[in-house]
Amino acid sequence: MEPKSIIVIVLVAAIATLIPRFLPYFSKSANNLPYFIKSKLELLPVAALGALIFPYAILDFHTIWYAGLCGVIASFILGYLKRSMIVSILASIVVTYLFLVI
Amino acid sequence: MNCTNELGVRQGIIDGFPVLLGYFSTAIAFGLLCRGINITLFSSVLMSLTSFAGSGQFLTINLYSTGTLMLELFISVMLINFRYVFMGISINNKLPQDITFLQRCLIAFGTTDEIFTIATLKTQTLNFPYLFSMELTAYSGWVSGTLIGYLLGTMLSSSLQAAMGVTLYAMFASLWSNEVRKNGVPVLIIGGISALINTFLVCICSLSAGWSFVIAMISASFIGSYIVRKE
Repeated sequence: MEPKSIIVIVLVAAIATLIPRFLPYFSKSANNLPYFIKSKLELLPVAALGALIFPYAILDFHTIWYAGLCGVIASFILGYLKRSMIVSILASIVVTYLFLVI
Repeated sequence: MNCTNELGVRQGIIDGFPVLLGYFSTAIAFGLLCRGINITLFSSVLMSLTSFAGSGQFLTINLYSTGTLMLELFISVMLINFRYVFMGISINNKLPQDITFLQRCLIAFGTTDEIFTIATLKTQTLNFPYLFSMELTAYSGWVSGTLIGYLLGTMLSSSLQAAMGVTLYAMFASLWSNEVRKNGVPVLIIGGISALINTFLVCICSLSAGWSFVIAMISASFIGSYIVRKE
């Protein structure tokens, strides 16, 4: 183990993360995209949701793949019924836990 | 999500709390992993403090343990984090003009997938107190999770730890159904398209998580703009 080289790696990783994060907030050209592109990016937040859940909500649980899926479905239904997010999440954790230990 | 009053610190902490829970459980796994490959506690926590990026950090540790070259590491981490460019553009467009340089830097540093999604789904204009308090809440979960995971991770029951891993997915599912209730079926379809594309790219094409996410998100947004126009 070389403590010095890991510190360098930590810094390199930090810089590689900072560049894409700071670019859009300070670059004029990143924000002056053509209207066509801009109008297409309006739905980005909604489009992100599906890809943030699948497939990893299933893959993360390996052989008990349905545990994560059922947890997600439970949260979706409770969210649709206007339950608060914390209630949805806690219910989801309980459902997933039950499937994992059964 | 459906409150009409102005966003502030209180709302930021409320919205950031589920993210804190999710990050905490993911960071426990990260801390455990670091300990497993003999990275010092100091370096592990320092990485969470300076990077604050889940997939990027897991990738860094992975590449470090396989002995990848520094330049390769730099490029790989930057590519996996490239999605932040698109997210930053969306957040930046919703920020007021009078925001200071330092405030802009702090918001930029805290931009993550989760913060972006929650913030840009808001109907109100964004502001610094709201965004910063939400980011700080999430950040505290990420850093403390790394520390606790490194020190005590082995003491947690593996089933409970795995169950806590569902937190972020549950949060997104709840956000998604909320949007479906407010804006109708197209939102369900657009999210479904991005889920299908991402699953296809990850499971069939074996594409890395960062790239497949960028492609799935942008193409679903493109396709979605035609679906919404028809409505």
